[in-house]
Amino acid sequence: MRSENELIKLLNRDLNLLSFKKLRKQNISIRFENEELVSGLNYLKSQNYIHLATISCVDWIEDNQFELIYQLFSYEDKISLSVKTRINRKTSKFVTIKNLWGVAKYYERDIHDFFGIKFTGNDNMDELILENWNEIPPMRKDFKTRQYVDKKYDWRQYHGQE
Amino acid sequence: MNNKYESNKWQEVINWVQTRSLFMLHYCTGCGAIELPPTMTSRYDMSRFGIGPAATPRQADILLITGYLSTKTLRRVIYTYEQMQNPKFVMGFGSCTINGGMYWDSYNTIKQLDKYIPVDLYIAGCMPRPEAILEGFLKLKEKIETGSADGYKRYNKEYEKYKKNQEKVLGEVKRRQ
Repeated sequence: MRSENELIKLLNRDLNLLSFKKLRKQNISIRFENEELVSGLNYLKSQNYIHLATISCVDWIEDNQFELIYQLFSYEDKISLSVKTRINRKTSKFVTIKNLWGVAKYYERDIHDFFGIKFTGNDNMDELILENWNEIPPMRKDFKTRQYVDKKYDWRQYHGQE
Repeated sequence: MNNKYESNKWQEVINWVQTRSLFMLHYCTGCGAIELPPTMTSRYDMSRFGIGPAATPRQADILLITGYLSTKTLRRVIYTYEQMQNPKFVMGFGSCTINGGMYWDSYNTIKQLDKYIPVDLYIAGCMPRPEAILEGFLKLKEKIETGSADGYKRYNKEYEKYKKNQEKVLGEVKRRQ
């Protein structure tokens, strides 16, 4: 069982990190360049970070970037790792990691639903959660929720309401 | 005139009998589902009022919609409702079914259940307690006895209107009829 500091030392030795941050006890966030990410995840998997809890995404619309966050966990170190990378918002394309973790193909479909990011190598990009969606993906920051709701649904009219 | 009198009397008897044995199908995708176990089991015991849970739509009289419906689940609710046999009654449960509730500005949940399927009775609240659900059931029995719970008749009569509303939010709805 490694401590957080031992792990950071090890990662700095073997990987090409952009930055790292100790968020709190047993919780570390590290950042990679796009090209380094898959090999980085591969290395982490070999270091007992075998559990991919989820893949999450953040829309940084002002920086014109999407941030992908891979949540890893090690049952031996008992440390959660947030592995982050930022991709171009305009092209919104990234590579799949379904060869490392089979479950990733569903997380990637989920992100494709809500952010419209294409994962090359993952051929099944059908809708997973949404149904018959033909607007821009709903979790993007430039999706105007209120406008869409006004257009699609009718508000209930109450007595005495103008 | 005699004939009319007779048929009315028969209808009253049928209505009365109907209220004595109601089977409820609860559609539990919303958070309201958590109020149903205490309602069904010994704490509040809804079988005191002659109401029991049903296993399938085809055996159920009441469809209880517990909470919000996304457009994806609305499609399944419509399938479920159309599988049920007449007479059938729909109860909307919680403020989400009335006006969207806390999901009032969500892009993916419907705001008024009665636009898509006919609702006989709403139970307001977020969440309604089991007492409120039982009160709702008693009210529904009253409505069935007086013949004013006629949602399924409205659905047949105004089918085109409901279909139009359904297709506005869902696109095509495939039906097996």
